[in-house]
Amino acid sequence: MTKHKSTAWKLGAAALLSAGLAGSAFAADKPLAGVTLTLASQNDQFAAVIAKLAPQFEEKTGATVKVDILDYGSLLTKTQADFVGHTKSYDLVTMDIVWAGQYAENKYTVDLTDWIKRDAAELQLDDIYPATIKYIGQYDGKQVAFPFAGYAAVMAYRKDLLDAAGIKVPETAEDFVAAAIKLTDPSKKIYGFVANGQKGAAVAQDWLQYNAQLGGSVLDASGKPALNSDANVASLKVYKELFDKAAPPGAVDYDWGGREESFRQGLVAMMETWSVGAPGYYDPSMSKVVDSVGISFTPVGKGLPVKYGLGGWGMGINADIDPAKQEAAWQFIKWLTSAPVQKEFNMLGAGSYIRKSTLADPDLNAKYPFLPIIAKSFENADGDYRPRIPQYPEIQDLLGTAVNNVLVGGTDPKAALDEAQKQAEKLF
Amino acid sequence: MAASPASIRQRRSGLRFTDRRKLFLFCLAVPAVIYVIVVALYPLAQGILYSFYDYNLLRRGGRMVFVGLDNYVELLTDATGQRALINTFAFTFGAVFFEFIFGLGLAMLLWRDGRFNRIALAFLLIPVTITPLVVGLIFRALLAVDYGYIGYYLAEWGITSPRGLFAGTTTALPTLIFIDIWEWTPLVALILLAGLKSLPGDILEAASADGATAWQRFRLVILPLLLPTVFLALVLRMMDAFRVFDSIFVTTGGGPADATNSLMVYGVKQGLQFFNIGYASAIGNVTILCIAFIAAVFALLIRRADVRANET
Amino acid sequence: MIPVLWLVATAYKPPKDMFSSPPTFIFEPTLHNFQRVFEVFDVWSLLKSSIIISVGSAVLSLLLGVPAGYALARSNSRYAIWVAYFFLAIRIVPIIATLIPFYLMMRDIGLLGTWWAVILINTTLNCAFVTWMMFSYFRSLPSDMEEAALTDGCTLWGAFYRVALPTVVPGIIASALFCVMFSWNDFLVAMFLTNMDSKPLSVALLAAFGTKDITWGTLGALAHFSTIPIMLMALFLNRYFVQGLTRGVH
Repeated sequence: MTKHKSTAWKLGAAALLSAGLAGSAFAADKPLAGVTLTLASQNDQFAAVIAKLAPQFEEKTGATVKVDILDYGSLLTKTQADFVGHTKSYDLVTMDIVWAGQYAENKYTVDLTDWIKRDAAELQLDDIYPATIKYIGQYDGKQVAFPFAGYAAVMAYRKDLLDAAGIKVPETAEDFVAAAIKLTDPSKKIYGFVANGQKGAAVAQDWLQYNAQLGGSVLDASGKPALNSDANVASLKVYKELFDKAAPPGAVDYDWGGREESFRQGLVAMMETWSVGAPGYYDPSMSKVVDSVGISFTPVGKGLPVKYGLGGWGMGINADIDPAKQEAAWQFIKWLTSAPVQKEFNMLGAGSYIRKSTLADPDLNAKYPFLPIIAKSFENADGDYRPRIPQYPEIQDLLGTAVNNVLVGGTDPKAALDEAQKQAEKLF
Repeated sequence: MAASPASIRQRRSGLRFTDRRKLFLFCLAVPAVIYVIVVALYPLAQGILYSFYDYNLLRRGGRMVFVGLDNYVELLTDATGQRALINTFAFTFGAVFFEFIFGLGLAMLLWRDGRFNRIALAFLLIPVTITPLVVGLIFRALLAVDYGYIGYYLAEWGITSPRGLFAGTTTALPTLIFIDIWEWTPLVALILLAGLKSLPGDILEAASADGATAWQRFRLVILPLLLPTVFLALVLRMMDAFRVFDSIFVTTGGGPADATNSLMVYGVKQGLQFFNIGYASAIGNVTILCIAFIAAVFALLIRRADVRANET
Repeated sequence: MIPVLWLVATAYKPPKDMFSSPPTFIFEPTLHNFQRVFEVFDVWSLLKSSIIISVGSAVLSLLLGVPAGYALARSNSRYAIWVAYFFLAIRIVPIIATLIPFYLMMRDIGLLGTWWAVILINTTLNCAFVTWMMFSYFRSLPSDMEEAALTDGCTLWGAFYRVALPTVVPGIIASALFCVMFSWNDFLVAMFLTNMDSKPLSVALLAAFGTKDITWGTLGALAHFSTIPIMLMALFLNRYFVQGLTRGVH
């Protein structure tokens, strides 16, 4: 009887709980209910995917994540303005690998070092490529952002064109240049090579990529600018030669969009690019080269140490927001970079990798055959070929004008880099 | 005069009517004046102050260091700054000159009222209404040598260099001027047309009755009467052309090299990308001085033209 | 006219055909680009922001500028013309000279990221323009009617509101049109001052352009929304526009 009674009481209580108290019980499961996080995101492939997945995070924790998708220039301007004005418009920001120096120097974002140590087990740190953590966000002893989208510099090429010309996939930078020139046939509208030529960040970043592979470097051993070193001048000559002899004529105006598009439309035989663009080549709604595209390592100059360019985006937490929100933002980062979410993220086409398990995942490998190339590139990654120092934006701008000027025939490589060096020295 | 409203009103209230009217008009004008002073002049004054400092929000924690006129000296001696100044002047005068010639021609054509002209007038407005950003993008796509409907054939037929108009250090700026002409000629035409329509009909009739040829009528009668409108159209367009930004920003980004770098493009880069506030403010202030100079010259011309128009 | 046709055509072109070399003229029209635009952007919210910002700024500019223009035109003071020139001169201020101080000012009064911030800064230029335009407009009208109304016992406000104002409706419409166009098309200020909930179409256009996988087609589709409303407005109000200019240019 008493037993019955107590069971009945329990049942009643349970019913009451599920009916009346459901709301609060619900809230207990969702520690972040009512929190809204605003995320400023670069308009890369991952942006729309994050926006798509954000409701899952809300279901799990109760926190709403609003994703503001911005182009590169606006993202830089708006986040910097937010930081220097302490306006707290954004709680989370995507940080380009090259902004790390500026972030660290000005303490824009929360230093994540201690949190990473604290939550090491939960993060499964040994599953994440050390290079991504080191380069994307680590600077001067601080971890100003946590990587969520690592990109490897890769070479995309057209199997059909290379086969027809009897050329092997180039493995050295010298082979690449020779093959690019040989594959070019303007009468058939086939060009051996394409890269960004447009003034500004576009041409600067692409040239830096080729420059590193040809043994050049923007800084000398002591960290001072050495824009006009002999190696840099030599590599710029090669870059110009490629544009003159092997690139589509419009390439001097291309930015990333034009470059990718020219490859997807079948105008170009080979190009170096970020791995994030690769899913697009396999997408029949936008690509004409679905069946003939191949992805390989970026060719490195003969006799140089084998290193592959690393780029990508980390997530930083605005240092101005209150600690509770910072903690919530950290929860989001942990969720976004967790193995299951990373898999779904990439199944939806984000093209952004940081985990060994994601790159080894059979489902993803079935969909994207080029993942082993990214994995190996990450293992031999160099994320410093674009120096991640606080002065990087200005250096990039100087190079963006200098290299473009050389490509359009306005000046010769030595003179252009001498002038850029003169300006760069003022920044140090 | 004795039975003016003033004397009637004066009796009803303590203040004299003319004073009350003055007060009333003052009250109407004052909100706008205060608004503009608070929202425009205050930031402008700050900008002038900043321009005397080395003030970079991203360096040294954003500390300000007084440097006097250094920012201005650098702008005027630096190759990039000089080029931006020259480009801006070249762009402004080039674009406005052709906009005026074509605009005047269009206005003369559309002067006579007719059905066709009314329809043409409506279509004329279209380029003016398209977002300048979009106009730039449209031309960038059309003129692309690899896939643009115009650029491809221009290059294929050897009219332009194989790399296209935007890639040439000598062709990029004229191309941007051309885009500006496409976009803004209609506005100049409309302003001039408005001026033409307000010309007194009797003078024109008298002129044609005198047996003057069309050219004589245009040169001796119409043009002098139209001068105030002409100067107004020119000064309005010049003020806007001098601040050109959108179309350059989305087509060449100031390139190739520095061939199309304008003061605004340069200033926005320094200010909103590098947050080099001191230098960006100096660029802004130099822009103001240049436009003010142009505007002052034209204001003088307008006054003179006004005086002459009143004499005839 | 070709550029406009291109813009329209591009939006219906399948992404694959966009970049053919040589360019193709014949293609199968598709709505794919519109689909994509709606996937990536909240078009209706962008449109709403554009409308609020441009109409808000136009209304505020008219409220401030029309009375000021009237006052300057009817004033006998010799300073009036200089005040009018002052308003004209405001138009020469390039945005880069004021934007950053204005940004900090908006932060301090808590309006950053709201429509108000953009409306307020756009209103400086617009209000200056309206004042100058209405100044020349009122000046070209004889003041006989107002004098007569005042003699009949009309108040000063009545003379302005009921007698003078109705005669300048075309000028007001033309000024409003200019104001709306200016705010609608501006992207630099809006990019800097709005946040994701308040940003207008022009800012989204820029975001759409600066990416690797959005192509000309999507941009053309988005441009439909940013261009067509203002174009239709100009076409319908075209009569007032020319009429407004006719008086306003003196």
